[in-house]
Parts: sequence; structure tokens; C-alpha cells
Amino acid sequence: MGEPDTAEPDEARRIATEARDRVRFEEEALALADQVYRVARRFVSSREEAEDLVQDTYARAFRSWQSYTPGTNLRAWLLRILTNLNVDRGRRIQRRPDELPLEEHDYYLANRVAETGGEQVLDQDRVVERLSQDSIVTALSSLPDDFRDVVVLVDIGDFSYADAAQILDIPIGTVMSRLHRGRRILKGELADKAVE
Amino acid sequence: MSGYLDPCDKCEEVMQPYLDRALDDGERAEAEAHLADCGYCRKRYRFEESLRVFVRQVCAEEMPPELKQKLAALRTPL
Repeated sequence: MGEPDTAEPDEARRIATEARDRVRFEEEALALADQVYRVARRFVSSREEAEDLVQDTYARAFRSWQSYTPGTNLRAWLLRILTNLNVDRGRRIQRRPDELPLEEHDYYLANRVAETGGEQVLDQDRVVERLSQDSIVTALSSLPDDFRDVVVLVDIGDFSYADAAQILDIPIGTVMSRLHRGRRILKGELADKAVE
Repeated sequence: MSGYLDPCDKCEEVMQPYLDRALDDGERAEAEAHLADCGYCRKRYRFEESLRVFVRQVCAEEMPPELKQKLAALRTPL
């Protein structure tokens, strides 16, 4: 009365398959690290924080790799982990969108710069050239978290509205309105910088 | 106010989803037809687009090479 002959080979095969899937998962995830870091870097204020956040994200991803469904968007899956970790860390200061001053309108940036630049800046294209690198980074980091998260995911991470909605666990409509308002605030901040 | 939207207002309204490539083909064609005729809206779109490209370029910070090694070290040993 021995063990059935097939039991051991089956088990060995299962282990081998799992190991192979895990290796593939880890390699695919690591190949996305640059893109994950780029988004993480704009979620937090320092490079060190971004590095920690990305490391924690990958540690968790490698631990729970089996909850990822192959064939779905791995980058979005990783960003979902990262976003949750970032929220858990309590970095975020929850501000109610209603409390934000939203007097700025879409033409604000272009108009402010045009006013100060006189005739030469009639062409809106040139406005962008006058903005400095620092001013964009500073303006982005001064956005309220809820708005920055969406702007960073869509504008820097190049995620679709649907992916951003899934990552942040909010409806698509909310992604679109936060994006719209976030970009407006950004333009207002940039306008202040551009004329300083 | 009636439900009527000025073509330029309508264009302004769809600018964000247009630039984010989130419009369906019909909406996109409608926006492009208006853009072909309206220099003002074209300028608006161009401005928004160049601002977006600029933000993307400026904010794309390279990952430190050491981090890549640290992440690889987190892998499950075989």
C-alpha cells in the first residue's frame, strides 16, 4: 500500500510551474520599476521617500504576486499597491475639495503671462517656454493630494481615466473632475510663478 | 439658459478628454472639424497640449540605479 505513483510528480510539477510563474511575474514587475518610480517621485516630496515607497511596493507585490491576474494591467496593479501604501503612511492631508479656492479659470495662466510679457507673448505657445522646470515641480507638489494623485497618474504616468479610477478606487467621473480642477489649480500656481 | 452650446464652448468642454485621448471617434471627429475652422480653439488646444508635454518631460525623473538593485534583491530566492 504505497502512495499513488502520480502524486509526487504532480506535486513537483505544480511547484515548478508556480516557480516559473513567479519568476515571470517578478521580471515583468521589475521591468516597470522606472515608470513606477516616476509616478512615486511626484506623489511624495523627497527622493528618499519615493525610494522607500517603491521598495515597500515591490516587497508587497512580490509577497502577494498570486493575487495579480495575468493579462491584466500590471503597472496599474503595482500603482494600486503604491497608492494604498502611501495613504497608509498618513502622508496625505485630506482637504475637502469644496474648501479650495477655485477662482482661477482656464485662461488665467495665459492671460497673466501675456499681460506681463506685453506684445511679444501674444502667442500662447511661447508662454510654456517661459516656465521653469522648478516652477512646474513646485506647483505640482503644492497641489492638494487628491488632485495631485490624479494629475500625476494621468499626465506623468500616462494612465487612462479608467486605470486611474481603479488605482485610486474612485469613479471615473471623479477622476475627470479632479483632473480638470487639478490642472486649473496648477495653471494658477504656474501663473503666479511665471510673473514673479 | 438654453441647452445650446456655442461651438467654442463645446470645444473647450471636450478639450480635456480630447487631449487625454478619451473621446470616442464621433466626438473626436466633431472636435477636429471645429478645430479645423477655428484658430482661437486651435491655439487653446496647442497651449494645453504643450503645457502637458512640458509637465511630462520636466517631471520625468530617472530612477536611481541603486534602487533597481535593491528591488531586484527583494525577489524570492530560487
